[in-house]
Amino acid sequence: MSDRLERLFYAGRALPPDTARVEFGFETRLLARLRTESVPWCGDVWKLLPVFAAIVIILGAWNYVSEPLDLSAMLSGGATGELLANALGGGVQ
Amino acid sequence: MEPSDVHLIQSTLAGDDGAFAMLVARHRRRVFRLAGRFTRNDHELDDVCQEIFIKVYRHLGTYRADAPFEHWLARVAVRACYDLLRRRRRPEEPLLDIDLASEDNLAPAQAKELLDWALAQLPAEDQLVITLLELEEQPVCAIAELTGWSESKVKVRAFRARHRLKCILETTHE
Repeated sequence: MSDRLERLFYAGRALPPDTARVEFGFETRLLARLRTESVPWCGDVWKLLPVFAAIVIILGAWNYVSEPLDLSAMLSGGATGELLANALGGGVQ
Repeated sequence: MEPSDVHLIQSTLAGDDGAFAMLVARHRRRVFRLAGRFTRNDHELDDVCQEIFIKVYRHLGTYRADAPFEHWLARVAVRACYDLLRRRRRPEEPLLDIDLASEDNLAPAQAKELLDWALAQLPAEDQLVITLLELEEQPVCAIAELTGWSESKVKVRAFRARHRLKCILETTHE
């Protein structure tokens, strides 16, 4: 059996893999791939998806529980002048 | 006069991709030859070689010039090939149409086909050690350095792998 194995190993050594086809143009393909992968953060953006989702949920919840701004009530309540001054003065009185 | 590996590495680190292309062209034959021992087709070979050189490109800053670049590159290549073998599922395809009764008279291509098939039945570590030891004819100390294993582990692995290979071939022969 050892002889048999040795014969197979000999055949394996005598016939190295033919890689010429794949070697052709290899540097060009490699550099092109390196250029496309040269922005490392692009590939990792999806990992931030849970963070973005959490932010959206928190903002949604906050918007839901907080008291909505009632512009019509403010206007009818005589706060028109204050609103106009804020708009014209950039919020500085 | 051709620039040295160290010079090309420094130029690459300074942002010169052309220098890296020269470095790849200089060493790719050896990497392809080694990776070609572990891959099944051209597509897989191209993939694993790109993976090896991309790792080299990204970690070039960690290379210390106290040992030849090709040794460092060979370690990266062996690690990538080992990862490929571990990821790969064992083949389910039967042995191709080879008449094992007349195995003594097998043509070299058929003998290699039989060896490739038998090797593919082994675990990743066994495939790696047999390929490096018997096909690439690397000494035990070099395999230990390439794999990061101790020399005794390489010897024990090689012994067990040969035994398994013999069992596989005996079973096939029956």
